[in-house]
Amino acid sequence: MKVLIVGELNENKISTTSLELVNKAKDIATEIFICTVGSKENVDVQVEGLNCTYIKIDENILSTHSIANAIKEVANLNSIEVILVSSTYLGRDIAAFLSVDYDSASVTNVTDINASDTFSVTTAINGGKELYITDIESDIKIVVVRPKSFEPLETIISKISDDKIIDIKKSELDVQIQKINIEEKSGPQLEDSSLVISAGRGLGEASNLNIINELASKLDAAVGATRAIVDAGWVPYSHQVGQTGKTVKPDIYIACGISGATQHQVGMKDSKFIIAINKDEDAPIFQIADLGIVGDVHQVIPKLISLIYNSKEKGNTSSNL
Amino acid sequence: MRIAVSAKQVPDPAIEPSYKNGCLSRPDEQVLDDTDRYGIELALQIKETMDAEVIVVSMSPEGTQKGIRQALQMGTDRAILISDPELKNSNSLTTAKVMSDLIKKLDINYFICGVESTDGYTGLVPQQIARIINFPCISFIKSAEITEETIIVKRQTAFGYETLAIPEKGVLSVTAGGVEPRYPNFKDIMAARNKDVKILTLKDLGTDVHNSLKYRDIVGVDIRTKGEKIIDDGQGAEIIFNKLKELKAI
Repeated sequence: MKVLIVGELNENKISTTSLELVNKAKDIATEIFICTVGSKENVDVQVEGLNCTYIKIDENILSTHSIANAIKEVANLNSIEVILVSSTYLGRDIAAFLSVDYDSASVTNVTDINASDTFSVTTAINGGKELYITDIESDIKIVVVRPKSFEPLETIISKISDDKIIDIKKSELDVQIQKINIEEKSGPQLEDSSLVISAGRGLGEASNLNIINELASKLDAAVGATRAIVDAGWVPYSHQVGQTGKTVKPDIYIACGISGATQHQVGMKDSKFIIAINKDEDAPIFQIADLGIVGDVHQVIPKLISLIYNSKEKGNTSSNL
Repeated sequence: MRIAVSAKQVPDPAIEPSYKNGCLSRPDEQVLDDTDRYGIELALQIKETMDAEVIVVSMSPEGTQKGIRQALQMGTDRAILISDPELKNSNSLTTAKVMSDLIKKLDINYFICGVESTDGYTGLVPQQIARIINFPCISFIKSAEITEETIIVKRQTAFGYETLAIPEKGVLSVTAGGVEPRYPNFKDIMAARNKDVKILTLKDLGTDVHNSLKYRDIVGVDIRTKGEKIIDDGQGAEIIFNKLKELKAI
């Protein structure tokens, strides 16, 4: 099977999420093509031994239609049978457009692909308690994969040569972007952190998040959030963990005041060790927690912070001796 | 100006969904999907500032139409529901095709919806509609500022957000939390009773429907073994602290 991967950039290099797709493609592909989309110059998107192109876009233009057209040209030229896309903002737009063009219904939130017999894909339902398996029977199969479903390929990545760069065409459907804002992220990134502390509705109000932030800074942890508090405007969407947000698999996940709705569990249930603090003894989060504390976050967390603070103070003193 | 807004009717999200032969069971009474409330709110804000007709479009079994009513109660003008037994268990592309065929007839400026539904979570329909009807697609809107002349929105990106002015036509998807959906008051609820709900079938639209996705199986997963649950009577923080030490996080 000829597989095309829609790649994306992180800084100047093909993203880890894209390399996850490449790794999976190795299982099912006879030949792999990667079209990485980005606005940067001089990018490292040439993956050793694979057919790579770079679709260079203007960051000041929202040009999704044109990007999809450019990818389609590469796919048609190479008789592509499978298109793999990450479940990102750009990825979902592109997959949707291509699914219309190829009259091929796409499956999103995919966590596994099997091409041994039929071409089937797996998605999680009911908070990951069950897996739903779908056969894709269209000629060209378009699959949108959840990040972290596969290990990223470890390989040699180099600069793409100029003849592999495609400039996209202007379209009447382009929309001019007036201003680009990069959100300054302080502390560890949610997706990559080995320790994630997440907050939910149980914190009561936005101002109470300061105890979560303080605990996170003490433990060098990233801060996550449930959809409920993102919807309520307490924290930006970029912190959201769950079905509609990010998937995290840290070594330790501390859920504070989170009931553990299906929507949230999907994004964090594969964490290695889950600690949950919640007042409600029957909260579903306790069903997946390795350590559950039935208690008030407003009591437990400040106490925990002071315990950590004291132990670090002690540590510092002894090292000074 | 004319705006079509999506109002998907979904099973009550508080109840765990059940499947029959891979098909999500839908009760007779379905409610308005919360994610579409954001799209409806944006449409209503545009209506109030720029003057527009806001038409609710939806596709589902006829049922009690509670979700449609809820969308009308928010202040939309009228509703069109596409209902046809052939559309049972439709995939996103089929939904997008059917909705597009309807939208094309309505001669709209904007189609506005949530990012993804609460029952299907596919998150493709808005963009697919944009592609089919050949409109600019402004997805993942996280806030909007509307004046009499312009609609300026912030759009979520992987690294932050970008600000742009919405062109004269477009398909817009609004993230949860992007705007604050209104709660209808008694007057709105009464007014909605007299609003028109038109029901169309596939024949009325002439959409070609076929499904290239086949349900194969649902399999259970080994649920992680339940850990210990301790009632905090003052020692909760210390238990966590010791565990974090044991796990070398401290």
